[in-house]
Amino acid sequence: MANNFNWETSKSDMLKYLLAADNQQATSLIKDALSQGVSAIDLFEQCITPALREIGTRFESLDIFLPEMVCAAEIIQEINEDVISPAMETNSDMVMESAGKVLMATVQGDLHDIGKNMVGLMLRVNGFEVIDIGTNVSPEQIVVQAEQEQVDIIGLSSLLTTCLPYMKDVFDYLTGKGIREKYAVILGGAASSQEYADNVGADGIGHSAATAVIICKQLMKDRSLT
Amino acid sequence: MTKVPKISPEIIASVLDKTESGPVVEEMDWDRQYISQAIKDLVEKYDVRWDKDFYGVPSDDSLADRVYEAGLELATKSGLYCIDTHRQMTWTEEELRDVLLATPTQVSAGEGKDQVTFKKRNVEENVHVGVIGGPYGIPVPEELFIPVLMSYAQEPLFDIIDNPSLETTYGFSIRADSPWEQLAVWQEANLTFEALERVGRAGMPIGCANSAASPLGELSSTSYGGFRKIDWHHNSILSELKISYADLIRAVHFAHTGAISHNFYNPIYGGYAGGGDGMAIAIVAGMILMRASLWGESFNPGPSHAHLSCNTYPPMIPSQAVALQALARNTNLIMSGFTRPVAGPCVKDLLYEIAAITLAQVPSGISFTKAVHSATGRIPLHCTPLEAKFAAQVTHSAEGLSRADADPMVRNLVEKYKDSQKTMNAGKPFHKAYDVDTLKPSSEWQKIYDEVCQELEDDFKLELDF
Repeated sequence: MANNFNWETSKSDMLKYLLAADNQQATSLIKDALSQGVSAIDLFEQCITPALREIGTRFESLDIFLPEMVCAAEIIQEINEDVISPAMETNSDMVMESAGKVLMATVQGDLHDIGKNMVGLMLRVNGFEVIDIGTNVSPEQIVVQAEQEQVDIIGLSSLLTTCLPYMKDVFDYLTGKGIREKYAVILGGAASSQEYADNVGADGIGHSAATAVIICKQLMKDRSLT
Repeated sequence: MTKVPKISPEIIASVLDKTESGPVVEEMDWDRQYISQAIKDLVEKYDVRWDKDFYGVPSDDSLADRVYEAGLELATKSGLYCIDTHRQMTWTEEELRDVLLATPTQVSAGEGKDQVTFKKRNVEENVHVGVIGGPYGIPVPEELFIPVLMSYAQEPLFDIIDNPSLETTYGFSIRADSPWEQLAVWQEANLTFEALERVGRAGMPIGCANSAASPLGELSSTSYGGFRKIDWHHNSILSELKISYADLIRAVHFAHTGAISHNFYNPIYGGYAGGGDGMAIAIVAGMILMRASLWGESFNPGPSHAHLSCNTYPPMIPSQAVALQALARNTNLIMSGFTRPVAGPCVKDLLYEIAAITLAQVPSGISFTKAVHSATGRIPLHCTPLEAKFAAQVTHSAEGLSRADADPMVRNLVEKYKDSQKTMNAGKPFHKAYDVDTLKPSSEWQKIYDEVCQELEDDFKLELDF
């Protein structure tokens, strides 16, 4: 029965429900598909992920706004927790891989977080697991959290040039602890430039949420090759 | 003799008390319920809408008044969110109306022959509109700080100079919330006064202090021998309708020193406030709440596009215009128009963006223009006084302009840059667009400027003041 499942319709329906913030319909779509024998992992990869990517694309062009993207991400999180994950637990062969694990922080001295939050959301809707530890975070705390959470990528944000020294501290602390190579570190926010990123040895710099996603995907690809 | 602060200790205490006595709210709930959902509801309730493809200057007074009522309701029902105590700070509508009644209707800055006065201005009022020129907060290297500042201060069309920020101080990085900030802002003050002396405008007011992010900068340098009470001191709230202890620390300092306080709030287009309709409501609420909490003399809405960081994105233009009209028609707040284009020096689009947003803001009731945050202010040294002079010229040419007259001009200008805006052409830095020794524009930049001035005179019959 699952072989006849109409992926195109399910994708467009999921997108429609996410845009309408219709949690019930979105959940029903997934439950119905599971009851027809469609695998949870296929549903995630061929229905949910493309719908979320489209949400991200529409936010990038501001056809939708931040609240709509937040809402869509939350609906999917609920579906994952309540429907997809339990379905996968019943089949131990199924493993849903995250695109990567990213720790995000606005560095010490800076209280601005909208840009960071947008990047975090775009990463989430593109399949990354995001640990957001907030604003005005000390370099020590960033490094400790990265170690605790065992992330792949550390994303640092700053709107203010006077907070750039705290960004550099993160690199110094990672190097001092001998764990610099363990993490890819990317920069964002108005204060950082390519020149600054080169100086501190960052692995990437992005000035938009979409660019950050591209960089993180590339970094994960590179890391899987090493 | 006891010195009386410009805001009474009782009022200051009542605001500080709100940071500790209001209900505790999760920040996510604030963003979702108190901002996003509240604004969506108000858009519906007050029928705040216009054609989504309209990129001009609205002249519907009824729409402006509805935006005002919606903004006042948002200010009353949501208020501000204190990010340090995670509490909602609220005022009653009566309290906010009293705050607005008590707002000053004029403010004088500077001293001697360089003193300027800005007054509350009404929609389409044909009176002088002031100009703050300057590379506001754009990082510049120490060795170019004086030449950059002199190049602006020598321009007679500028009433106030808004300082750049130093990239380093005595060769070292400036670290936020540390003594480095103190060292930097004192260097900024000293270099500023030297530049003003050199151009013979020692009494000119300065937008400051821009080399420090934390309140340490202001607390340290607005002091004996540093920046003066008559300078133009910055303070702000955060997006969306959030306030921090840092903002309140600066506000209390200004209240007691008597220093002039210029307050700004930058809602995000495409963020929790939504699109143009919601952004207009957020701007109104933000300006009212800043007067209630930061006690500024003047107020600046400087919204940012979620991805481009500019305020010249076409759908943002009618939103800012209608918000300014709403406030000009219903309050005595002294408001400025901000100019944050995507393009940078030596790019023709920079001038088109400046002209469009300025022609939308001046007839909408601003008292002065802030010009220019070239290349959205994000790239070191990407600023010159020529684009700020152009903004000043357009500002003065629009002083007697009606919204209806400005509308087709703005729509015409938007057509010239809207398709190329996403390329984010930052143009050239100061030292490539200007001669650092003579402080004159390069022939390339001068030619582009001359061409666009001619275009505006020919196409729109604007008389640009040289």
